[in-house]
Amino acid sequence: MNLNLQVNKTHTFDAIVVGSGMTGGMAAKELTERGLKVLMIERGREIKHIEDYETAMKAPWDFEHRGKVSIHSAEEYWANNRFGSLANEETSPFFTDDKKNPYIEKRPFDWIRAYHTGGKSMHWGRQSYRMCREDFEANAKEGIAVDWPIRYDDLEPWYTHVEKFVGISGQKEGWDVLPDGHFLPPMAMYAPERHFRDQMKKSLNRPVTIGRIANLTQPQSWHTELGRAACQYRSKCARGCPYGGYYSSIAGSIPAARKTDRLTVLHDTIATEILYDEKTQKAKGVRVINQHTMAVEEFFSKIVFLNAGSMNTAGLMLNSVSNRFQNGFGNDSDQVGRNIMDHHLGVGANATVEGFNDDYIFGQRPTALYIPRFRNWKSDKQDFLRGYGYQGGASRADWKRGIGQDGFGASFKEDLTRPGNWNIGFGGFGEVLPNPENRMFLDKEKKDKWGVPMIVFDAAFGENEIAMRKDMMRSAMEMLEAAGFKNITGNNRQDTHLGLGIHDMGTARMGKDPKTSVLNKYNQVHAAKNVFVTDGAAMVSSGCVNPSITYMAMTARAADHAVKELNRKNL
Amino acid sequence: MLGGAFSAPTLQAMDAWEQRNHHSGKSSGAEFSKAQEQIIAEVAEIIIPRTDTPGAADAGVPVFIVMMLKDCYRKPEHESFASGLQDLEKSQFLSLNKQQKETAIRDLEARTVELMKEYQVQQTKMGDNEDREQMKEVAKGLPFWRLMKELTLLGYFTSEAGIKGSFEYVPIPGKLELIKLKPGQRAYAY
Repeated sequence: MNLNLQVNKTHTFDAIVVGSGMTGGMAAKELTERGLKVLMIERGREIKHIEDYETAMKAPWDFEHRGKVSIHSAEEYWANNRFGSLANEETSPFFTDDKKNPYIEKRPFDWIRAYHTGGKSMHWGRQSYRMCREDFEANAKEGIAVDWPIRYDDLEPWYTHVEKFVGISGQKEGWDVLPDGHFLPPMAMYAPERHFRDQMKKSLNRPVTIGRIANLTQPQSWHTELGRAACQYRSKCARGCPYGGYYSSIAGSIPAARKTDRLTVLHDTIATEILYDEKTQKAKGVRVINQHTMAVEEFFSKIVFLNAGSMNTAGLMLNSVSNRFQNGFGNDSDQVGRNIMDHHLGVGANATVEGFNDDYIFGQRPTALYIPRFRNWKSDKQDFLRGYGYQGGASRADWKRGIGQDGFGASFKEDLTRPGNWNIGFGGFGEVLPNPENRMFLDKEKKDKWGVPMIVFDAAFGENEIAMRKDMMRSAMEMLEAAGFKNITGNNRQDTHLGLGIHDMGTARMGKDPKTSVLNKYNQVHAAKNVFVTDGAAMVSSGCVNPSITYMAMTARAADHAVKELNRKNL
Repeated sequence: MLGGAFSAPTLQAMDAWEQRNHHSGKSSGAEFSKAQEQIIAEVAEIIIPRTDTPGAADAGVPVFIVMMLKDCYRKPEHESFASGLQDLEKSQFLSLNKQQKETAIRDLEARTVELMKEYQVQQTKMGDNEDREQMKEVAKGLPFWRLMKELTLLGYFTSEAGIKGSFEYVPIPGKLELIKLKPGQRAYAY
C-alpha cells in the first residue's frame, strides 16, 4: 500500500503533455510558466541541442553519397523518399525509419514522421504565416464540413505571443489575405526577385513578399537568454542549428520550460492509452510503454495535452477504449481519424531569367518569396473552392547545370566554377478540403511491436484539389511570362499523396456541436474537458498557409484557458 | 592490353581502387573489369582534367563513381552503364590517342542528347526554394554518358579538392549580402 502511494507520488503531475514537437514544446512552456508541474512524454530518442546535431557541421565531402539517397536508405525511409529525398544523409537523423515503424496504406499516404525530441520542429520548413479572417469563416459560408468555433480575433493575441517568442523574420505588408505579425527584420529580395515583384504589381496585381521565416535575423533578449543566436545564413537548418538560428522546440520552448524547473521529460516512451475515470468523467492520466524495455507504466495528472502529431494523436484517442468511450476517447461524433487534410504541392513553374549577370549573393538565404492566395479572393471566382499560395524565388545556377549541358574538358570545368545564369521558379501550396471519407483508423488485427494496433490510411485528393492544381500550374506560368522570363516550363506532379506536405491535420476537429466535432473552442475534448488536443488534429479547415504558427498559437491559447479553468476548479 | 602508358591521374585512380577493394565487402551488380575501371577513370579525367586545379582522379572521382553505382543505382542503370562501357571497349577506346578519345566522347555525347529526349528532364522548384530534378520514368536505365557526367561532376564538385580548387568555400557565411560580381569571380560554395 505504501509502495503504491509512493509510485503514485512520483507518477503524478499537474499536466501530461504527449509529444515534444512544435505544439508539445509550446504546451510545456506555457503550462510550466503558469506554475504547473509538467510531464512531457516523447516516444522517440533523446536529442540534445547542439551536441546531438551529428551532421550540422559536416562539409559536403563528409557525406559518403554527397546528398544522394542510397538504395538501402531509400528502403528504410520508403515513405520519406517515395517522392523526393527528404531523409537523406544530411537530414535523416531527424526523420523516422519507416521500416521500423510501419503503417498500412489502403490508399497511399505519405506519412512523414519525426520520432525524437523536438519532433518535426527539427526539420520543418519554418515558413510562418497567419491564417486570415476568411479562413475561419469559409466553411460556414460555403457549407463545407462544420464551422470553426473560433474566429481570427480569438487567435490574434496568441499569434503575436508565439511569434514574439519564436522569432519570425518578415515584412509587414498590410494585406487582408496575409495578416501581418510581430516580425524581426525581413531578409533581402534578390535583384531579379524585386523585378518580378514590381512586374506582378503592374501587370497582374498579385502581391509578392519575402518569405516569413522562423530564423533570427535580429535576436531579441528573450532569444539570447535561451542561448539562441542570429542566423548564420548557412541554410543547412534541417541538420539542426548549433547556433539556435532557427526555431525548434529543442532550441526554444523546451529550454524555456526547463528554466521553470517544473518540466520532466521521458524519452523512448510511447503513450498507448488515455486513462478515463468513469466517476469524475475526466481523464486521469496516460498509460505508456518504454520502447526498449517494454515496461508498462501509468502516469497521472489533472489535465492532459495531446500533441503527438495529428495522426498519432488520433491513433492514441482511438486506442483509448473504455465503457464510456467504446469507439475511442472523446469519439462520440465518430469524427476522430476523419477529415485528414494537408497542403498539396509538387506543382508550379520555372523559367530562366535573362540579365542581372553582375548581381550575386554572399550567404545562403534560408527563405524564399511568398505569393499569397489570389484565387477566389475578393472579385476572383474559379471553378474550384479556396486557394493556394506560392513559394519560390530566384537563384543563380551552380555547377549542377553542367550535368545537362554539352561539353567536357578544361574550359567546361573552368566555366562551372563561375556562377551560372539566374533561374526562377515557384511551387504552390494548395488548400485541401475536409472530407470525412479521408481517414485513418486502427487495424483490428495487426499490431506493432509494442502491441499497439497499426494505423491504416484511406485517403486521397478530391476533385477540388485536382482542379486547383491545374490552375496552380497555369497561373505560375502566367506570372513568369508576365515578368518577361524565358523558357517557362510548368509541372504538376501526379505522384504526390496526401501527407507529403507534412501538414497532415484535421483528425480531431474543433466545432460548436459535440455531435459533429471532437473539440470545443478551447481545444477541449467535448466529453472530457481536461483533455486538450492542440496539434494539427484540431484543424477544421486547412487554409493554404504553412500551419505551425497557427498550431502554436492555438496551443498557447488552450494552455492559458486550461490553467484558468484549473484555478477556477472547473477541471 | 593493360600496362600501356597510363596518365598519372589514371594510375592514381587505380591505386585508390586497390585500397578500396581491400576493405570493402560491398558488391551488387555493378562489377567491372580492370580495363573497364580504367575506361571509367579516363573518361572522368576527360570530363574534369587536371589543370592548374586538381582533376577528377585527384579528387577520387573514379572510385566514387563505382561506389555510387553500387550504392545508389539499381539494375537498369547498372545495365545501361555496363553496356556503354562495353561499347567503348569494342571501339578500342583505351588504345586511342588523346585526340581520338576526345572525338569518341564528343560522338558519344551527341548520341546521348538524342537518347535523353525521352526522359524529358525538368528542374522542379519545390517548396522552400528547393530544386529537384524531375525525369519522366523510362524503363531503361539512364544512358552511360549521362551517368558518367552526372557522377563525375557530383564526385568532383563536392569533394574537398574539387570544392577548394574550384570555388570560394564559405561554410559559415554569417551574413546575407547582395553583391556585385567582380570579373572572373568564382562561385561561392557552402
